[in-house]
Amino acid sequence: MPGPGVARGGDAGAGAAAPEAVTVFRWDLDKTYLRTDFDSVRDLLRVPFETAAQKIHVPGVAELLRALRRGNPSRPRKALVYFLTASPPQIAGPIRDKFALDGVEVDGIVFKNQLQILMRGNFRGLREQVGFKLTELLRARIEAPEGVHEYLFGDDWESDAILYSLYADVVRGAVDPGELERLLALLAVDREWRRGIAALAEKLTPGDVVRRIFIHLERESPLGGFRAFGRRLVAAFNYFQTAVCLYEEAEIDLDGVEAVARALITREGYTRAMLENSLDDVRRRGHVGEETHRRLTRDLAERGLVPWRRRSLVRRMREGIGRWRVARRGSASGDAVSALDYAAVIAAWKESR
Amino acid sequence: MPTIAIDAMGGDHAPEEIVRGVAQVSRESDIQCILVGNEAVIQRHLEETSYRPEKLSIVHAPTAIGMAEDPREAIRAKKDCSLLVGTALVAAGRADAMVSAGNTGACVLACAKTFRVIRGIRKTALASVYPRKVEYPGQDPLALLLDVGATIRCQSDELAQFGIMGAAYAKRISKVPTPRVALLNMGSEANKGGDVLASAYELMQKLPGLNFVGNIEGNDLARGKADVIVCEGLLGNVVLKLIEGVSEVVLDLASYAAHQHLAWRLGLSMLASGIRQLRDLTDYRNYGGSPILGFENIFIKSHGRSNARAIGNAVKVAAKAVRDSVPAEIAASVALGR
Repeated sequence: MPGPGVARGGDAGAGAAAPEAVTVFRWDLDKTYLRTDFDSVRDLLRVPFETAAQKIHVPGVAELLRALRRGNPSRPRKALVYFLTASPPQIAGPIRDKFALDGVEVDGIVFKNQLQILMRGNFRGLREQVGFKLTELLRARIEAPEGVHEYLFGDDWESDAILYSLYADVVRGAVDPGELERLLALLAVDREWRRGIAALAEKLTPGDVVRRIFIHLERESPLGGFRAFGRRLVAAFNYFQTAVCLYEEAEIDLDGVEAVARALITREGYTRAMLENSLDDVRRRGHVGEETHRRLTRDLAERGLVPWRRRSLVRRMREGIGRWRVARRGSASGDAVSALDYAAVIAAWKESR
Repeated sequence: MPTIAIDAMGGDHAPEEIVRGVAQVSRESDIQCILVGNEAVIQRHLEETSYRPEKLSIVHAPTAIGMAEDPREAIRAKKDCSLLVGTALVAAGRADAMVSAGNTGACVLACAKTFRVIRGIRKTALASVYPRKVEYPGQDPLALLLDVGATIRCQSDELAQFGIMGAAYAKRISKVPTPRVALLNMGSEANKGGDVLASAYELMQKLPGLNFVGNIEGNDLARGKADVIVCEGLLGNVVLKLIEGVSEVVLDLASYAAHQHLAWRLGLSMLASGIRQLRDLTDYRNYGGSPILGFENIFIKSHGRSNARAIGNAVKVAAKAVRDSVPAEIAASVALGR
């Protein structure tokens, strides 16, 4: 049953019993999928009247979603794609048309029914983001079969990094009810939403289900601000970087990475050097391992997407030592996540606003 | 788009300010930057600022040359330092130019060790731009002074070549069609300053394509009489430091006066915009850096105290020199003068 102020399209959960391996990809819409401008009141007023053709998606995102749907033949699984947005359901039509135009198959979209919230006289609820989204994420999780893992996609415009991390840790059972209540209060979540979230958290079967959280750096926020979130969260400058990380996780294949890269070349004027630099950047930040980096560099060079680099014997030896060190340390995509210091994270986030 | 290698470990404020400056360039221009230095350290500083990874790469260099190190010894001992790794990238064609705020002597030696000297050039020169009075509308407010330290003592033909190189640089970078070249001397007469300067005067007067305007004295440096001023390295370095020192003293005096009397403070506040303009004009951070001329590759030497803005401007100057093919212009001018 949808909660107050919620409008759903399709099945917003992960569906019923899964006969095969299922991976859920949960996406934010504005600034993550769509290049929505709401920097001014004028922009905000224009959004509801935009047609599907007028809506512009972030370069590479449609190709990535198609690649996620297709998956990786080396690890077959069913992909479910959901969108969760604080936009009103009145724009559902153009949004669905936009997905159709982009060839993106979506299993469900949850909108925030602002009108209904207004009718209930809950004016604070209109601005509520964290409470609304956390409620919906938890609700969807409860409806999902056990063992289904998730990837979450957001941006640095609002509070997606905190929201998704908190969700992942609540589902993991790493945040006790008292702490959750305190954190939600710190995040200025309305009391009514807090009560609902606490009730939903009680119903959860704890599990480490969130594999990775991807934050698209729409505002070009400094990466240091995301360090506190640990290695589970990947701040990505473009969808090629996201694709590379998902390739390492075997969620997409090389063709998927290539499709995203080609979209950036075509739509954003990326060069081979720019793609190579993006690839090197995620390697340096430890989001992909040396082995994946080496393999991708070679394979993408063969496909003409990054420059060929003749590597000297010294460099190859150094890379070999690096690989050996990484192997000793454990995989770059290791999932072990300790509980975050949310109070500090929230304080830093508030300061940066 | 040009690719510029930047010595991330060179300079008084390296690597923080260097990394910040390059990160800013990555956000606002199409220049491809290669930060050369300790990869882990550079990455850590990068993550504290906003940057675009698409236009930025890092090439690891495990060591660096300190500002106080003996240049010759350091270049000999540290083969894997950021400066030499950077110049090697340029020599190998992976980068089009190099920028460093590091040890000046080491920069000149690194260029000499890695780059090829333009055919016909006898000595290379370190140039520097400084603000001067403009004599006509549209005149570049900056003059080029060379050499300021690469070649301590020079022969007359070497000074003449400095004039050719400086004119070629000014033509391309300052867009002055026929830059006026002068020799820094102790009098305006042709025979002043000893044999070397008198002989250089004669040579420069005869050079085809060089707009030689004769000798200028120290008190003419700040006037717009010449666009390129030639002197040997020792003298050039003294002049450069003197200009910097005078500018600092003027600003210190203004600051002192502001603290003494309310009336002076009020007067200064009325002059504030003028003082700001003066400060901006004399602020090396606005110019970015100066070229080491005479090599087939471009090297821009930034002030040792460079901050992020200065480094960003130095990278832009380097990119401009690449786009405007400065070494090719110098080579053509030298060939013409032979």
